[in-house]
Amino acid sequence: MNLDRYRRQILLNEIGTNGQELLATKHAIIIGGGGLGSNSASLLVRMGIGTVDIVDFDVVELTNLHRTAMFTEQDIGKPKADVLQQKLKSVNTAVKVTARNQKITSKNIATVIKDADVVLDGTDSIQLRLLINDASLLHNIPWIYAGVSETIGMVMGILPRITPCFQCIAQNIQDSKTKELPILGTLPGIIAAIQCTEAMKILLGRKPKGLIIYDVWNQSFDTMDVKQNPKCPSCSKKNINPKDEKP
Amino acid sequence: MKITVTLFGRYKDIAGKNTIEFDITGDTIIRDIIDAFVKDYPIIKKDKNRIMVIKNKMHTPHNVSINESDDIAFSPPVVSGG
Repeated sequence: MNLDRYRRQILLNEIGTNGQELLATKHAIIIGGGGLGSNSASLLVRMGIGTVDIVDFDVVELTNLHRTAMFTEQDIGKPKADVLQQKLKSVNTAVKVTARNQKITSKNIATVIKDADVVLDGTDSIQLRLLINDASLLHNIPWIYAGVSETIGMVMGILPRITPCFQCIAQNIQDSKTKELPILGTLPGIIAAIQCTEAMKILLGRKPKGLIIYDVWNQSFDTMDVKQNPKCPSCSKKNINPKDEKP
Repeated sequence: MKITVTLFGRYKDIAGKNTIEFDITGDTIIRDIIDAFVKDYPIIKKDKNRIMVIKNKMHTPHNVSINESDDIAFSPPVVSGG
C-alpha cells in the first residue's frame, strides 16, 4: 500500500500509520447513492477505506446535481452506483469499489451487508432505515444514520446493543408525506463528511458521538446524549426479524 | 411548579435561547408543554406531532407525564432525506 498519499492524514494522532493500515483492511457499504451516499462514497474512497460498496437501484436525475459534485449532466439517466464506481476507481485505484444495482428488501439485506465492517445510510426513507437498523442488530454490524431536510442534518453512529439504535430515537416517526423534501445544496456534503468521520471512528474502534444535529443555515451545531430505550421494539428484543420495506 | 426544557437545533434559534421554562401541574404531560411551546412560537406548528422529546436522556412519547425534576429536551424531528 502506498501510504504517502495519506501522509497528511497519517500525521493525525487520531489516525497514525497503524490506523491508516487498519482502514485499508475495512469494508464499508453505503446504501443509497444520492446526495448523502455519493458524497460519503467519495470521502471513504479518498480516505483509504479498503473496500467500498455502493448500493443503489436508481439513476442520476437532473435534480440530483445541486447537492453533489459526483454527478454531471452527462451522467443523467445512468445508474448512480455505476457512475460512482467508475469515477471513484480513478480517484483511488488502491480501493476496491463495487457498484450494486439493487433495491434493498428484507429478503436481501442480510446478503448485502453481511461482510460489512460498517454500513453508511444514504437512503431517503425511514422505513428503509428501520430495515437497516434491524439487520444491523441481527448481524451485529455498526451503521451510521444520516438524514437531511431543508437546512438540517442529523447523524448518529449506532453500535448494536451498545449505543441507542435508530428505533430508539425514531419511534412513531413516519416518512414525510411531501414527495420532494426541500434540501439546501450544501447540506448533504457537510452531513456526509460528519457521517464519514463517525464511520472512521467506528472502524478504528472508537465510540461514536451520540445524536448530532446541525442546522447549516443558522450554524447551529448540537450533540445530544441519548440513552438506549429499555422498551425499544428493536434493540431491547433478543430476536430481530427485519420487516420488509413498506411502499 | 416550573420545568426547564433544553432546546436543540433550530428550536433554540427560533426561541433565541437555549432553554425555556414552562409552568406545570401534577398532571401535566409532555403534549401540554409542546402545545405551550407551539403557541409561543407558531412557526414550529408543522413539527407539533413529531417533535423529538428526550426525557432523562431517553426518547419519550408525547403522552407521558412529567415533573419538575425531569430533564427534558426538544429536538426537531428525525430527518429523512438523503
